[in-house]
Amino acid sequence: MTKHKTERPTIGIVLSTVPRYSETFFRNKIKGLQDNGFRVILFVDYLEPEDSNFACKVVASNVFNKNTFKRIWCSFLALLKSFFMHPKRSSILYTLNKRDGISFKENMKQVILNQFFLKEDVDWLHFGFGMLAVKRENVAAAMCAKMAVSFRGYDLYLSPLKHPGCYNMLFTKDIQYHVLSQEMKQELFRYKISSNKIQVITPAIDIPFFTANTAVENKNRLELVTVARLHWKKGLVYTLEALALLKQSGIAFHYTIIGAGSEKERLVFAAYQLGILEDVTFTGKLVQSEVKKQLEQAAIYLQYSIQEGFCNAVIEAQALGLLCVVSNAEGLAENVLDGKTGWVVPKRNPVLLANKIETIVKLSEAEKQKISKNAITRVHKEFGLIKQQEAFVHFYSEN
Amino acid sequence: MKDQLKIAVYSGDIPSTTFIERLIHGLSNTGNSIYLFGFIKKKTKYQDSVSVFGYKNTRQHKALHYIKYSFLLFCFKHKEKRKLDAILKKQSKNLLLTKVKCYPVLWHKPDVFHVQWAKGLADWIWVQEFEMKLVLSLRGAHINYSPIADKTLAAMYRENFPKADGFHAVSKAIGLEAVKYGAVKEKIQVVYSGLPFVEEKKTVAKQKDVFQIISVGRAHWKKGYTYALDACNILKAQGIKFHYTIVGGTNDIEFAYQIHDLHLENEVSLLDNLPYDSVQTLMQHADLLLLPSVEEGIANVVLEAMQKTTLVLTTDCGGMDEVISDGVNGFIVPIRDSEAIATKIAEIVTIPQAAKEEIREKALHTIKTQHSEDQMVHQMLALYQSIYHDKA
Repeated sequence: MTKHKTERPTIGIVLSTVPRYSETFFRNKIKGLQDNGFRVILFVDYLEPEDSNFACKVVASNVFNKNTFKRIWCSFLALLKSFFMHPKRSSILYTLNKRDGISFKENMKQVILNQFFLKEDVDWLHFGFGMLAVKRENVAAAMCAKMAVSFRGYDLYLSPLKHPGCYNMLFTKDIQYHVLSQEMKQELFRYKISSNKIQVITPAIDIPFFTANTAVENKNRLELVTVARLHWKKGLVYTLEALALLKQSGIAFHYTIIGAGSEKERLVFAAYQLGILEDVTFTGKLVQSEVKKQLEQAAIYLQYSIQEGFCNAVIEAQALGLLCVVSNAEGLAENVLDGKTGWVVPKRNPVLLANKIETIVKLSEAEKQKISKNAITRVHKEFGLIKQQEAFVHFYSEN
Repeated sequence: MKDQLKIAVYSGDIPSTTFIERLIHGLSNTGNSIYLFGFIKKKTKYQDSVSVFGYKNTRQHKALHYIKYSFLLFCFKHKEKRKLDAILKKQSKNLLLTKVKCYPVLWHKPDVFHVQWAKGLADWIWVQEFEMKLVLSLRGAHINYSPIADKTLAAMYRENFPKADGFHAVSKAIGLEAVKYGAVKEKIQVVYSGLPFVEEKKTVAKQKDVFQIISVGRAHWKKGYTYALDACNILKAQGIKFHYTIVGGTNDIEFAYQIHDLHLENEVSLLDNLPYDSVQTLMQHADLLLLPSVEEGIANVVLEAMQKTTLVLTTDCGGMDEVISDGVNGFIVPIRDSEAIATKIAEIVTIPQAAKEEIREKALHTIKTQHSEDQMVHQMLALYQSIYHDKA
């Protein structure tokens, strides 16, 4: 990166909201960029009062609420700003949208809604999720900035099913893509995106924090744990079915699910029908220190997801030395190396999962220790925050 | 002794679900007076014996409703109004809206107040203080799984079920479930859902190259469609030619992803909710209606399919085994078992036409003898009468 519009190279990151304290990915990314001399501007749809002290400049979208009068007034103000404060950029955005065949009405809507981007100067405009770039495909070009888009699991695999064709326009643009796993890169190939446009940067974790303080004590029953929001894509019903089979085999266990979500009723009822309700604890959402405590109490970590980009929780569990059993959903097979740092089981198959857990239980302590150590070593080597920060600096500097 | 009763059928909404509306329609032809209270979703034409005392969901309409009944009660039933106000004050979170709901009931004072959904029971216990009999329907999720996941709800059931004057259970199984929350066994009357009499038509010959399977129902986890889709995956691997349609399954990203993930795009279709008649037609033309649910009272869609002489495969959930006898008038498999669903479908495909026809006839016979609308209405009336005359 040799020539910049601004004194320091500036990265505009687009998110829905300012990342909360627990969202380490974006917080770490922003900190890493700042430490490496970049200026960061965060563009968000909503601003909360506590966001005023965030570590970088935050620009929020205009509030277009449900009140018709206020909505018309905000649209009018946005239009005025477009005409008088940055007419050239507004005009480019309008022209590019028109070239893409967008109707006049939709085009005007996009110019109004995206007006808050146009007053800032950035070298890169990086959309944190794929869906955030939809209907904003030409905003970066209008700002004379390079465009980058990050895909996580949900927006790459599920959003196109929910909104068919939602990325048709986006994928025609000159964009650098960031994905979490090689599998996701393969998925982008299916959309005819060329390899040199895609960089895989895996998630990272705070390794010093996720270092085990206490040795796991041997308990009479097998302690199993999962950290996941209670969402169907996490495959928790299949997991419970596998545990019911485990119970039938006479293996005493206790399973803790850390996380909250709309599917609690479904999961509690499944556990009840499967006859394992008393063997399962739903803790709800916990703070990070509590999550760590819970993980330290367990021997095996399960992540039998149906769909998963990569999964930070699995990296954290590996860092703490837990034996990890994951499904082969998308990025999980790269997160855990089957037979080396944990085990990968084909998804949607509770019988296979139960068998795998049974096999692991029967392993010798030395074999378990070997896998656990391999996992810790690999996490330290591959999934540290510094490595991730360097990767992002490289992402912006080399493209 | 009073032969004609004033019966309130309360679901909260006017009109209500198909099967509650069917009950209202049936009761309206018996000479009793039927009262409907609650929120008017849309204008509905009822028989003369049905009186609607509902309100529309606008501030003005609710205010007028409130003023009208406050005035009537204040002038003519002052003491009772004061008594009710005191009760409501103790239990209510939104007093004004509660009064909008309750005042008309106190004013019209039906002999029997029949609550359709158990979650709302606590709001209506007060009717017993004013010589109205309280009946509760025991239906599906409200009994079978909600109180398992929601401890507060379970506690409310334990507190109030022993107080109810009578229960209408949609199946024997759900009646037993209610006993766990303190419902008195002797007060539970099983009344199966009934279908109106339909003149028999000659059935369409159901012999096609591709075995057509259909499920009908909202996209909710309790319908167990994920198990059905996993079963489709097994069937496809076995080389069985089939097509599976889920009516009401569109816009559900979980199903869409599962279909994509298992490469079932050519074998499975998700359709939007369709008008009743279109669903009936689709059902009639299908070779098999599949009910893969993990929870049901007794699924009405199964009864409708049996009436249409479409073969039924159901899971053994709720009261489904009270309707279907495996291999006799339909087929039944354990819940949460994709393998069993696939195996059974593979078996059904190979059953000779004559044997299938026999099963269809037996299914139709079950509907005629166990699930007629007349039967349902008479049994419900008998329940109301017995509870009312207990009082007398």
